[in-house]
Amino acid sequence: MATTTDIRKGIAVVHKGQTWVVIQAQFVSPGKGSAFTRVKLKNLQGGGNAEVTYKSGEAVETADVQNKRCQYMYNDGTNYYFMENDNFEQFSLDAESIGDYSKLMKDGTECYAMYIENKPVSIQLPPKMDFLVTFAEPGVKGDSATGAVKDCTIETGLNVKVPLFVNEGDIIKINTEDFTYVSKAN
Amino acid sequence: MIYDREIATERSYLSQKIREFFNENDFLEVETPIMTPIPGMEPHLTPFESDFTDPYGQKTTLYLNTSPELQMKKLLGAGFGNIYNITKVFRNGEVSGGRHNPEFTMLEWYRVNASYKDLMEDCENLIIDLADSPTLNFGEHSIDISKPWDHFTVNELFQKYCNIDLEQNKDFETLKKTAKKHDYNANGCNNWDDLFYKIFLNEIEPTLGFNKPIFVYDYPSSQAALSKKKADNPFWAERFELYIAGNEIANAYGELIDSKEQRTRLQEEQALRKKLNKPVFHIDEEFLTSLESITVPCAGIALGIDRLFMVLLNKKTIEEVLLFPLSKMLNNLNN
Repeated sequence: MATTTDIRKGIAVVHKGQTWVVIQAQFVSPGKGSAFTRVKLKNLQGGGNAEVTYKSGEAVETADVQNKRCQYMYNDGTNYYFMENDNFEQFSLDAESIGDYSKLMKDGTECYAMYIENKPVSIQLPPKMDFLVTFAEPGVKGDSATGAVKDCTIETGLNVKVPLFVNEGDIIKINTEDFTYVSKAN
Repeated sequence: MIYDREIATERSYLSQKIREFFNENDFLEVETPIMTPIPGMEPHLTPFESDFTDPYGQKTTLYLNTSPELQMKKLLGAGFGNIYNITKVFRNGEVSGGRHNPEFTMLEWYRVNASYKDLMEDCENLIIDLADSPTLNFGEHSIDISKPWDHFTVNELFQKYCNIDLEQNKDFETLKKTAKKHDYNANGCNNWDDLFYKIFLNEIEPTLGFNKPIFVYDYPSSQAALSKKKADNPFWAERFELYIAGNEIANAYGELIDSKEQRTRLQEEQALRKKLNKPVFHIDEEFLTSLESITVPCAGIALGIDRLFMVLLNKKTIEEVLLFPLSKMLNNLNN
């Protein structure tokens, strides 16, 4: 058992007898009322999403899962292939299990894989990751009306909004929760 | 962090239009303090606190305002007439998930000789004016904002979505039994209001305001200590909330102007704060005295500017409409 304060993205919980992973947790306090925690869940046993609102402080049943360190290797368009760090065993997950993370996957990415009864079901990326900028419009644009922000493309193909000083070839940190720019990597 | 000039431009434009709207409708813009010695008593809010030290070393605790409501009503009592205010408010502990920032911008306005229903009309006129289009696009939703907007009482929504008549479930035990029959659990709920909201948040709120903005009105009086109870049924109070695209945008009251009743209800909130182990604040006596000089019905509303901008600018999170969201500033510290 856990309480709502332990609920965050990537935690597995039991809801209506099935195992779900939290994909988003949100604080809610309606009309100056008391606090609630609203979570978006992804079903790990058969797919589908659900939204549940818990009273803050309420006991929430966590699922019996194992987390193991692993490394992403490649995908063949349908499946994503990983290797466990401990025993070099390989496993794969389908695109649905990877979800939005597909936009951030690059060879060698270190992550955690979640297992239910020895079967891998999902992965969790580190909160921030470094990426190479493969395309960015040059430095300062003449058109100041577009503001201090421009688009760039990172090595995975994802487009991200960045400050004007970010250039092609730079390494930048991306928040893996909302896919936004954090800073230039040191 | 990225600082999006386009967002700053949109915010500036919308804020100016809001001021134009109220000035054209003969409201006076007033400013209220950010820091105050007596904060609002709302049982579930936690104000930030700090110490003021005078030149002789004497300390007084000051609180960052959770809402300018008490000050606004003092000005009503002083005969200011229709007033509005755009100010920063602060609520400790409220972060995460895209709809809360501990510091946010509140638009409050008050009408004299008016009821809370007049404020519904203000909301329609203001937001239609700001939107410049009969339809708001929000994610995959297309929201028709032409008048009239939807209106449902809280109890109508409970009957429509949950088949529960709250009139028949006015105490905690009864509501718990009914909830159980409907397979809603009361886990974590300590009182009637907790369970009310748990059902509301799970079964009703996620669907509100996706076709048209919706006014949800007549809330249980236990949840609105500064509002007037309904004359024909004091279980309910004159309060409404405006929802657009599942977002709670504004909260309005037919203002309670009976100072005796107001004192009793503030004392009840003091008791509840004590029970919840929260700091208990003094009753603002000047506020109660001010109410005595209000002789006509008044109505007031607080509208979360940042959430309104989210909906108007089609942004999914509050962080996207703020230049300096706290979550990002904190995240930046741990690079």
